[in-house]
Amino acid sequence: MNPTSYNAWKLVSLSPLPPWALVALGVALALGVILAGLGLRREPAARRRLVLWSLRILAGLAALALLLEPGIRNLQVARVKNRVAVLVDRSASMNFPVEPNGVTRSRQVSDYLKGPAASLEALKDRFTVEMYGFDPELAPTSPEAIADEPARAGSTNLMGALRALKASDATGSKKLSGVLLFSDGADNTELSQGVGTHARGELRDLGFPVSAFAVGREGLIDLAVENVKVDDFAFVRNSITAEVEIKARGFSGREVPVVLKREGVVVASKSVMLTGDRATATVAFTFTPDQTGRFVYTVSVPVYPGEAVTDNNARSFVLKVIRDRIRVLLVVGRPSWDERFLRGLLKQDANVDLVSFYILRTSSDDTKVLNQDRELSLIPFPMDEIFDTKLSTFDVVIFQNFGYTDPALNINTYEKNLEQYVYNGGAFIEVGGDHAFGEGRTEFPILGQVLPVEPSGQGVNLESFTPRLTPEGQRHPVTALVPGLAANDAAWASLPPLHGLNLVRARPGATVLMEHPFQTVDGKNAPIAALWEYGRGRSLALMVDDSFVWSFTAHRGGTPTRQYDRFWNNALRWLVRDPDLTTLQVTAEPPSVEPGRPVGALVVARKPSYEPAGGATVRVQLVDVESQKPVATQTVTAGPDGVARVSFPPPRPGPYKLLATATLNGQALGEGEDAVAVRAVGPELADASVGTDRLEAIAKASGGRAYRLPLAGLPEVPLLDPPVVEVGRSRDQPLWDRWYSLVTLAVLLGAEWFARRRFGYV
Amino acid sequence: MSAAAPIGRRKFLVGLPVLGLAASAFGFGDDARFIPAVAQYKGKWDARVSGLRRLAAELQRRTSVEAVPDARALPLDSPRIFDFPFLYFGGDGTFPPLPQDEVENLRRYLTYGGFLLVDANDGSDGAGFDASFRREMARILPQHPLAPLPSTHVVFKSFFLLDSAPGRYFNKAQLHAVMVGTRAAVVYSQNDLAGAWSRDEGGDFEFEVTPGGEPQRELAFRLGINLCMYALCLDYKDDAVHLPLILKKRR
Repeated sequence: MNPTSYNAWKLVSLSPLPPWALVALGVALALGVILAGLGLRREPAARRRLVLWSLRILAGLAALALLLEPGIRNLQVARVKNRVAVLVDRSASMNFPVEPNGVTRSRQVSDYLKGPAASLEALKDRFTVEMYGFDPELAPTSPEAIADEPARAGSTNLMGALRALKASDATGSKKLSGVLLFSDGADNTELSQGVGTHARGELRDLGFPVSAFAVGREGLIDLAVENVKVDDFAFVRNSITAEVEIKARGFSGREVPVVLKREGVVVASKSVMLTGDRATATVAFTFTPDQTGRFVYTVSVPVYPGEAVTDNNARSFVLKVIRDRIRVLLVVGRPSWDERFLRGLLKQDANVDLVSFYILRTSSDDTKVLNQDRELSLIPFPMDEIFDTKLSTFDVVIFQNFGYTDPALNINTYEKNLEQYVYNGGAFIEVGGDHAFGEGRTEFPILGQVLPVEPSGQGVNLESFTPRLTPEGQRHPVTALVPGLAANDAAWASLPPLHGLNLVRARPGATVLMEHPFQTVDGKNAPIAALWEYGRGRSLALMVDDSFVWSFTAHRGGTPTRQYDRFWNNALRWLVRDPDLTTLQVTAEPPSVEPGRPVGALVVARKPSYEPAGGATVRVQLVDVESQKPVATQTVTAGPDGVARVSFPPPRPGPYKLLATATLNGQALGEGEDAVAVRAVGPELADASVGTDRLEAIAKASGGRAYRLPLAGLPEVPLLDPPVVEVGRSRDQPLWDRWYSLVTLAVLLGAEWFARRRFGYV
Repeated sequence: MSAAAPIGRRKFLVGLPVLGLAASAFGFGDDARFIPAVAQYKGKWDARVSGLRRLAAELQRRTSVEAVPDARALPLDSPRIFDFPFLYFGGDGTFPPLPQDEVENLRRYLTYGGFLLVDANDGSDGAGFDASFRREMARILPQHPLAPLPSTHVVFKSFFLLDSAPGRYFNKAQLHAVMVGTRAAVVYSQNDLAGAWSRDEGGDFEFEVTPGGEPQRELAFRLGINLCMYALCLDYKDDAVHLPLILKKRR
């Protein structure tokens, strides 16, 4: 090998002795020197001590050199060419102009990387330069692609991109010497709140410096509904607060109106004063939903001339409004065990808010008191209040064996109110007895219309019987005590018998759930429980007055049972249209749709008997709430489980309703609706500002530097030096095996011997 | 609500059977109506059955409750007590411990909604019926102690406004109760309540009422009716809608 090819050397020991032997000999030499020094302690002449001490040290060093056998190792070495990553933000905010009417931020990056000023070529002598875009996945890119292909990512995740680079660094042979990060810094994920302690630690541990190049200017003006903080659901007739965050650039000193709408109808509006050039203001809207269901609410601010982004001036959200508690009005003709156990059930149910009125005394009762006011706890029957002014506040009204002709207790004046209450969406239950369903003194000519049954004129049957489920009752949720048809039939059959019923006939269109096993009315088995829909409301009739035996008496066998509780809970849920008990359910998937994404809907169709409506024809309309016009319609066939899915192409932003109908063999299965908000902008485009501070913090924490485009050339960015490795052979040249080495040692030892003799030590 | 013309005692007694028939004619089965049941056990349990019948008749007469003027005697271990949510447990003197099946049946009865009116017919305190009953109550509902019922309890305003709890005697001013949840499942009087209600075969009241005489008897009836109303309506009179007016009446 040509010696001139060696380009490095180093001093090495060529001794064949093992390290432990060298150490032992070295220690022995040191002891020899030290002992020699100790032997000279009593020498009075400093000069002699110096001479003898110096000679011994020099001799020791010469002996050590002979032991270590020093040599020069000639080496052929080379430097590894490490990587430098150019990382370019490909999130949608890079499409914003650098300045009003200027080029986009992506174009500015592309121009800088392509231009001669970039001087990336200079780096290529020492590094391999790689270029990536992150959206948020890392992908190779080029200055041309950056300029030509619009940035699309819906979020900016700077930490995620750097983490991905670090992961590639762990597997590749070429290590990263540094990263040049080109971004507007508008991180809306991990670093949305700034570079915190944890992030700084992670940046320090990356192992390479990140030099950040900020793109874009702060000179843009923009007004954005940045965020709306509101719960996913609210309770009807209970207030809820939505906190709206408004971000403004270039609106200092201006007052801006903020409007909250529910599906096109203004709910509230406020004004907010913006202070400072980069202002963030919070507006709180407190409102009270008055209907249950899912609704799209929209918060908007006006669009001003010259704004960088106009789509972020409105933001929609979906609010699900549910009942907090079912408000039940229980009106009882007289105290009875049936009333006592129903009251007990309703009072212990945390989901029920019970208001009750009992007729404890009639005009024919003699209380034997002298002063009614002072001796009785009775209060007047507040008919005006409960059947007029407060009627609409109740979700369900129950008449339990209630009906009087006594003028003080007669409610004929309020029948129309009650009928309209049900027609407009209320719920009504009539429970049987000797004051119900036309018996005794009861006559409700108007209110009776809301019931699914009508008096038959046959009076009552007082015999004991065990009711049986009709085919409709076997599948209806109200009579579903336990899962499974056979188990449910058995559960009903196991309950104690009832004693007596009002003989009524079902109206056309009514659903009879339970019937008498042998007593007939007009040739059909007498209905025991029936229900139907009246207008927008629902009603249920129970023609017995001792259903409490399903609760109390049923416990006589010793086994706890909750069948009575289940029956009444089911009935209340059906009456108030619990979403789980509707025959056609439509659910937006998801309720808030990001821009450019399709609108999905899941439809579950069931027959009136609540069996899955397999094969049902399901029609779903996507209706623009503001124009009240359908923008798309799809018709699909439900699967065997009654489930159908539809997907609408991305509509323009705004609030929409999904209206579903279904038919099976020509029979309508009902209607369902849900709300969906199609957002105008995602979080990425909600804010046009440049996160210069964030980029500076990243550079500082990782050991890099921060810059701002445009730049005249590539600055001296901090980069790690590539490591040096041997790439060729080495050759050792001994230094010790020269004649003068031994001579030097011999001369030194001899000189010391001579001096010792001369000074009288030998 | 207008009051009807008062009915005389004799007229009422004569009309009782007719009333019962009339009630059956338009009412449903007896299970839906108020019938007190009387607990049979190994002790002197049947001393006040006529008093219970009389109370049911007064309930029918004075309130809108449909009651059967009768009392059904039932063994404590019978499943039939679950047909009668109001059970009277009265006695005179000590009685032996109840068999375990009776204890368990009564425990289930009270747990699932039954109401037990306990009455010391001997007016005892610390001995006699009182001692035996307290011993048994500790077995029936050991987790639920017998405690004084405050005068603010809804029992004292469930129909009549009352401020005391007299019976044939007035030994103890307070009632005691066993609460199951928020419900008074057991109410205990040591004043022989049913003694004040009882009539002999001739239709006269069976016992003198001391020390208050006939006014005290009327209060005992009113307390009995309030107890029936409480069993039927629970805490209805504690509903918010009633409170302002009742408080005003009490002032």
